[in-house]
Amino acid sequence: MSMTRKQAMREARQLFRLCIVNRTLDEGRVRQVVQSVIQFRRRGYLTVLGYFQRLVKLDRAQHMVKVESAEPVPYDLRTNVQANLERAYGAGLATQFVLNPDLIGGMRVQVGSDVYDGSVQAGIAELKKRFGIASVNGRKADLKGV
Amino acid sequence: MSANSIASQGEGYMADLLKEIEAQIAGAKAATAKQNVGVIREVGDGVARVEGLTDAMLNEMLDFGQGIIGLALNLEETEVGVIVLGDYTKLGEGGEVRTTGNLLQVPVGKGLLGRVVNTLAEPLDGKGPVDSVANYPVENLAPGIIRRRPVTQPVQTGIMAIDSMIPVGRGQRELIIGDRSTGKTTICIDTIINQARLNRAAEAAGDKDYRPLYCIYVAIGQKESNVARIISVLDQAGALPYTIIVASTASDSATNQYLAPFAGTAMGEWFMDNGMDALIVFDDLSKHAVAYRQVSLILKRPSGREAYPGDVFYLHSRLLERAARVGEKYGNGSLTALPVIETQAGDVSAYIPTNVISITDGQIYLETDLFYQGVRPAINVGLSVSRVGSDAQLKAMKQVAGQLKGDLAQFRELAAFAQFGSELDAKTQAQIDRGKRIVEIFNQPQYSPIPVEVQVAAIWAVQNGYTDAVPLERVKEFQKKLVDFLSTRKSELLQKIASEKKLSDALTSELKAAADQFKETWK
Repeated sequence: MSMTRKQAMREARQLFRLCIVNRTLDEGRVRQVVQSVIQFRRRGYLTVLGYFQRLVKLDRAQHMVKVESAEPVPYDLRTNVQANLERAYGAGLATQFVLNPDLIGGMRVQVGSDVYDGSVQAGIAELKKRFGIASVNGRKADLKGV
Repeated sequence: MSANSIASQGEGYMADLLKEIEAQIAGAKAATAKQNVGVIREVGDGVARVEGLTDAMLNEMLDFGQGIIGLALNLEETEVGVIVLGDYTKLGEGGEVRTTGNLLQVPVGKGLLGRVVNTLAEPLDGKGPVDSVANYPVENLAPGIIRRRPVTQPVQTGIMAIDSMIPVGRGQRELIIGDRSTGKTTICIDTIINQARLNRAAEAAGDKDYRPLYCIYVAIGQKESNVARIISVLDQAGALPYTIIVASTASDSATNQYLAPFAGTAMGEWFMDNGMDALIVFDDLSKHAVAYRQVSLILKRPSGREAYPGDVFYLHSRLLERAARVGEKYGNGSLTALPVIETQAGDVSAYIPTNVISITDGQIYLETDLFYQGVRPAINVGLSVSRVGSDAQLKAMKQVAGQLKGDLAQFRELAAFAQFGSELDAKTQAQIDRGKRIVEIFNQPQYSPIPVEVQVAAIWAVQNGYTDAVPLERVKEFQKKLVDFLSTRKSELLQKIASEKKLSDALTSELKAAADQFKETWK
């Protein structure tokens, strides 16, 4: 009898919890868990590993920092941003700096699912919404009261 | 007006405009706050599963971009189940979703009267944008115990059988239940038409005491052609200016069908909160339950009896609890609900019908057999009840119709007995004859509601034996002629019944004199 989806998810979650040390994911433990699961080849181990991988992926995504800017960020500003983010979110963040000319100016920082958008592009979008030019609630874009 | 003052007025206007633009820009600047985003993992059948969105709230509106919004319905460990309220075919895997911090809202106000809108209150009638005074949340808590007060004012449906035996009061929830094509919708439409007639009459007479009753008709999962027909009937009867139509037809997504009655109720709550009375028709809640079942199954919620989710009772109870009559300090208005349920082969003991029967304050039960026997509206008086409406009934109506329900029940029993063809004593025969005439008097064509004073006079005439000598097949003709006589030659008598609202001894003798006078002319 194969393992049900729910059972596999529960086991994956248990394995995932074992890998957390001081509220952060321990890479060494993750590797150890994967190796031993493959070694023992218990019933439904591939399904469990599939869910385990997804949990690790989501955890990684929550600790990914993506800093977008229209122009290259100077080195001192980079270290400053990184330090500030680590103060707010704790250590263990993987920071990535990306160039995005569409932003026009300013910076857009994404930590996990939190976004701090200080770009000119976002400002324009917000202004559009406030003046009713952007489509809101599925309604067609038109100039309100004009 | 001098050129100078025009110039200064113009300057004032400019200054206001500049200030407004400044405020808008300042608001936009301040908006550089934290946002929460997620990524679409899968999308289909109007439901999206989104990863991330760690700060999403239950029932929060989510922004999918391109003007499409969704509603967070399932908050799970690693993802959020979202129902999409727009065109989900435009969304793709990997798309970004943002939280908005707002619950789903719809515009409300008197500007919606006379309009046909969809679940999100977007116009469907091509009459331009909807005027609104505020936005109300679609999901709202029902008024609590303190805010409520008893139902004491009547809703005149204009249907004799209902107004006399199953009276509905303002703030009541009265279920209309029956098989397909037994006249459920017709009862609702008649009621809406009658409200429009009463509202117009009160406006014309300048009656300040009359509280107009505004109507909201919510069509859930119905055929577009059906809705179009209803709109044209209301339009022809001149009832559209007092009515809001919220249409979520069979071609709309299940999510929109599920939210439509809640959106309609939000519009009704505005009237209730602002000292006005409103009536809402949910046509029908069987299809609403089916739409909700579909949404729940796609969201992978556990299913229960007949595959409905476990909270299908709560779905309807929280909807219907929002219909209430509130105290003077708390809005001084009311919202009356007429939910409709379609049964299969007269089975009232099915899951959804029993749920809604137990939630509402009574039901009007329509039967196919009666319909084909020619009893229209095909109301089964024995099974229909109104638990709170009798307090709201007009005193005059109570005086003439107090015994009616019992008499009719007795008649049905005797009629069943008489079928065996046995000899009957004179008293029983008289009872049966009277019963047949009462049933005949209650027959009423659709879309022609009867004013309450005319109803009182007609029932009084039957109860006092004026139709006993009239052959059964001519009773309807007798009623019509009597009503014509009263409304042309004794109109002040009808007005007196309407204004005094009870039959005093003097009024009764006047009515008797009028009826005697008519009987002499009747051939």
